[in-house]
Amino acid sequence: MNQNFQINSKQIDKIQKITEEEKNFRIKNLEIFKEEGFPSKKLEDWKFSDFKRIVDNNFDELDTKTVVSHFDKVDLLKDFEHNYIFLVNGNLHSSNFDFEDKNKIKINSYDKSINYEINKNPLVCLNQAFAENGYSLEIDKNYKFNKVLVIYNIFTNDIKNKILNNKNKIRVNENSELHTIEYTINESKFKFINNVLENIILEKNSKLKNLNIQRKKNEGIFHKYLKNNLSLNSNYTNLIFSSGTKFNKLDIECNLIDQNINCNILSALFLGNNEHNEIKTCINHLAPNCKSYQQVKNVLNSNGKGIFQGKIYVKDLAQKTDAYQLGKALLLDDNAEFNSKPELEIYADDVKCSHGSSSGSIDEDSIYYMMSRGLSREQSKKLLIKGFLSDIVEHIKSPSIKKFVENKLEEQISEN
Amino acid sequence: MLEIKDLKASINKKAILKGLNLTIKPGELHAIMGPNGSGKSTLANILSGKEGYEISGELNFNGESIKEISVEKRAQKGIFLAFQYPLEIPGVNTNNFLKTSLNSVRKARGEKELDTLSFLKLIKKTSYELGIDEGILSRQLNVGFSGGEKKKNEILQMKILNPKLSILDETDSGLDIDAIKIVAKGVNTLRNDKKSFLIITHYQRLLDYIKPDFVHVLSHGKIVKTGCSELAQELEKTGYKKIN
Ligand SMILES: Nc1ncnc2c1ncn2[C@@H]1O[C@H](COP(=O)(O)OP(=O)(O)OP(=O)(O)O)[C@@H](O)[C@H]1O
Ligand SMILES: [Mg+2]
Repeated sequence: MNQNFQINSKQIDKIQKITEEEKNFRIKNLEIFKEEGFPSKKLEDWKFSDFKRIVDNNFDELDTKTVVSHFDKVDLLKDFEHNYIFLVNGNLHSSNFDFEDKNKIKINSYDKSINYEINKNPLVCLNQAFAENGYSLEIDKNYKFNKVLVIYNIFTNDIKNKILNNKNKIRVNENSELHTIEYTINESKFKFINNVLENIILEKNSKLKNLNIQRKKNEGIFHKYLKNNLSLNSNYTNLIFSSGTKFNKLDIECNLIDQNINCNILSALFLGNNEHNEIKTCINHLAPNCKSYQQVKNVLNSNGKGIFQGKIYVKDLAQKTDAYQLGKALLLDDNAEFNSKPELEIYADDVKCSHGSSSGSIDEDSIYYMMSRGLSREQSKKLLIKGFLSDIVEHIKSPSIKKFVENKLEEQISEN
Repeated sequence: MLEIKDLKASINKKAILKGLNLTIKPGELHAIMGPNGSGKSTLANILSGKEGYEISGELNFNGESIKEISVEKRAQKGIFLAFQYPLEIPGVNTNNFLKTSLNSVRKARGEKELDTLSFLKLIKKTSYELGIDEGILSRQLNVGFSGGEKKKNEILQMKILNPKLSILDETDSGLDIDAIKIVAKGVNTLRNDKKSFLIITHYQRLLDYIKPDFVHVLSHGKIVKTGCSELAQELEKTGYKKIN
């Protein structure tokens, strides 16, 4: 463990109004974390993202104390009408649901429920030890959102040498639908770690579509463990984009606990110099007749590193499972790196499972063809890159949101 | 328009063109025939500016040497190559691509760039004139196009870009009679006393619809025979053996 990493079990004592059971659970998690330390590449799940090295290289000191920060205001997105919530350094600050029936929506500052399960991911243990804020959102039965909900995930400019542990929960009840955009705005000029544990529960016939993107390139270090429990006939889509973050690891566990579930994880990333992004998934098909679809596409520039570790687990009774997984990279530089490690564990016999991965560089003949029509090399290259990522972007149905994401990608591509 | 003098080209030390001379004046249409592997596509590629060849000799376009000029600059100056094998570009919408292409050429010519509406009008009109199904224009560039559709798309691009020198590399190969007529129409409607064409083909058939001013035979990297349109008919009967 890093000498200058201050973790103090007294911090747990300071957490108010908790039961003895919860306290013990927190202490136990802390002990596990102290034992394991930050995960290094020695752990199978971390072999492509050595978090310990990231910590050692970026921090001389680090602590987990909670912060109270001053927050002015950020400009709302003008690209499309939306509801919003503001998270400031991970804490719920305020919300606005003017486009909705407010009676159908419960928003709270923190999800107190705990299932007392120990996760083998050391960062989740750290989170379970200290997290005491975040947000909790619940949508009533039979309610479909009129407009998208933007989650402004703001980090203030004074955040420095911190690990912020947040815990979030979204529950969409029967027959309800929600569309969210998680929009990260990092105003800190310093380095910090945001370590999130998020729990999504989709009840029968419900639908959640979530899109992730950042306002702009930033130096943040992000880890999120996302645990999704999906029920009968539910539909889950997670679209992951990037405007460039120094380090981002998204660890997604999806439990398809009943029939006719549709689960989609789609990502289109452009990673520039020294940007590191890992998407790790574990799709657990626990019931028959479900469909999961994962496609991760990375464009990697100088020293960019992209990782897709996708696992599909099919339980013996999960017949007629249809699972698809593809990792694809376009390498723009010899130093760029893409690692794709598909893993299948299948115990049912009547299933359709396909997986694949590929990486290649820009096709010079295509560039020549486009240039022969008067386009510059740069223009041609840009079109090829956008073309490569386009089938993911095409999953966005709303034209204004699509345009918004396209503009972000464009910025990211032009900057590099 | 185009003046090629003693052009030699090699790739990875392998000599392909071995001293080729050819002059094309404004308004002229030249056909090049010749056996497989004789260097026809290589000539077309070099004229369009493709990199990777070692080149010596002279290459002048409208009195200016183009040897050091990049592919896109040549396109902007008015050289167009219809590819023997047009490339598939996934994720790039054909219409958008054509618009970007046209506007970069227009910009270079000092003309006003077209807005989407005027572009769509132009493309609609042109594809109608040529009898090309507009449906392909909303698809990804050449992706999943049939062989014939790809070739027709090349002709459409040629028409839209309105080049000074059009080079067609076996555009007629693999086409049915109706599609060949489309190619011919594309050429004939562009043809005037200022524009020039270099048409690479294996078949007399296309030349029934497009009457060439000259027919050349390219063999082993050189032009070994030049004649008028009757030469093509003769070759159709006798093949290339007699010439060598
Ligand atoms: N990149 C390359 N590396 C090595 N040899 C090449 C390369 N490109 C072309 N060649 C060779 O150069 C010769 C001429 O090729 P080219 O494509 O110009 O012929 P062509 O006359 O167009 O033939 P075809 O009628 O079959 O289209 C061939 O022998 C070919 O194999
Ligand atoms: Mg050829």
